[in-house]
Amino acid sequence: MAASLQEIQHRIDSTKSTRQITSAMQMVSTAKLSKIQRSGTGYRLYAQHLQDVVSHLAQAHLSNVKGTLLESREVKKVGFLIITSDRGLVGGYNSMLIKRVMSAFEERHLTKDDVVILAIGGNGADFFKKRGFNVAYEYRGVSDVPDFMEVRDIVKTVTAMYDNEVYDELELAYQHFASRISNEVQLEQILPIDTTNLETESGSLSAEYDMNPSADKVLETVLPQYAQSLVFGAILDAKTAEHSASVNAMSSASDNAKEVIDDLELHYNRARQAAITTEITEITGGMAALE
Amino acid sequence: MEETHNFEVAVVTPNGEVFNYPNATLTVIHTTDGELGIMANHNPLISALATSEMRIQDKANDYEERLAVNGGFAEFSSNKLTVVADAAEKAGEIDVNRAERARDRAERRLREAHNQREQQLAQAALVRAVTRIHAATGE
Repeated sequence: MAASLQEIQHRIDSTKSTRQITSAMQMVSTAKLSKIQRSGTGYRLYAQHLQDVVSHLAQAHLSNVKGTLLESREVKKVGFLIITSDRGLVGGYNSMLIKRVMSAFEERHLTKDDVVILAIGGNGADFFKKRGFNVAYEYRGVSDVPDFMEVRDIVKTVTAMYDNEVYDELELAYQHFASRISNEVQLEQILPIDTTNLETESGSLSAEYDMNPSADKVLETVLPQYAQSLVFGAILDAKTAEHSASVNAMSSASDNAKEVIDDLELHYNRARQAAITTEITEITGGMAALE
Repeated sequence: MEETHNFEVAVVTPNGEVFNYPNATLTVIHTTDGELGIMANHNPLISALATSEMRIQDKANDYEERLAVNGGFAEFSSNKLTVVADAAEKAGEIDVNRAERARDRAERRLREAHNQREQQLAQAALVRAVTRIHAATGE
């Protein structure tokens, strides 16, 4: 009986230390989440400006899109830029996303030969490599609060590959941070740039602009910048979602640990009582034998 | 109606608004086409920028600020100039030593470049570094 008591005590201790770790990780992720949310506001201002100008330019110059990122060409290969996490411990964050991407392949009847995978984050890269997909680009180790300088090379490579016709359409797949308790898988086309669904609510750009040096030249500068900002925005969003997924996974892990501990403590007390009862029976039995 | 002689200047990057000055009288930007001075009540304008230095002046308050801007574009409307670039730094905040190291590195890469793409990348890095040094030291 004593051995079993010790065993239970041992399990309680180890579960307790696990809970300590998971709740510490939860706190770390919460801190990262609020940090990245703060930096996200700065980015949104930038993105809004870009979007305003792009939608304005697009409305005025839709006729002349040849050779720009607006021009759609015959789609031979579809690029999928998939943003996953490097680490685990984020619940269903990666698996949900990958599942959604796989079903998108099916819906569009894309085979392995039709798609080019660009993976940001180790989880997605490993998954698609293992299944024999063409992983043309892979990046690991995006920092917890990415800044634009860090991801600029990723973004430039991705747009350069489009220019070199490695793929003719680029889809972006990532977990969008919807709220602190839920994420949504997003799949959106970023290249060629689709201006039809640009929000034109901002009435700030109604004026007739002088274009310098020329409208085409401006378009040539602004469009790549816009595409880059979209990719950066997605990375930022995905990271936010990752931190929030991590918070949730860790908080439910801590809750589960608490349940396990409560359960074990009940067992421990029962075993202890049983041990005491046995001891008393033995003592009284011994006394009875003496009398 | 009295005409205003000053206008607002804002510089926006992916990391947020890095610069804002409400009372500029003159701003000089370098477009891909050459230098351009903007004063209050300029016609609405969108202009592509070179990786270059921009200068903001307020004559009334004897104020001048220089920024190193990494490409992007400028938009002027309703008496507000907004520069949207993927990076921008105020002259006073530029680490000259770092910029000089970046310049040396870029020069080395330019010499050792094997193909056109490498050459272009090195060239762009060199221009960025030189612009930052120039903005910071005024030389």
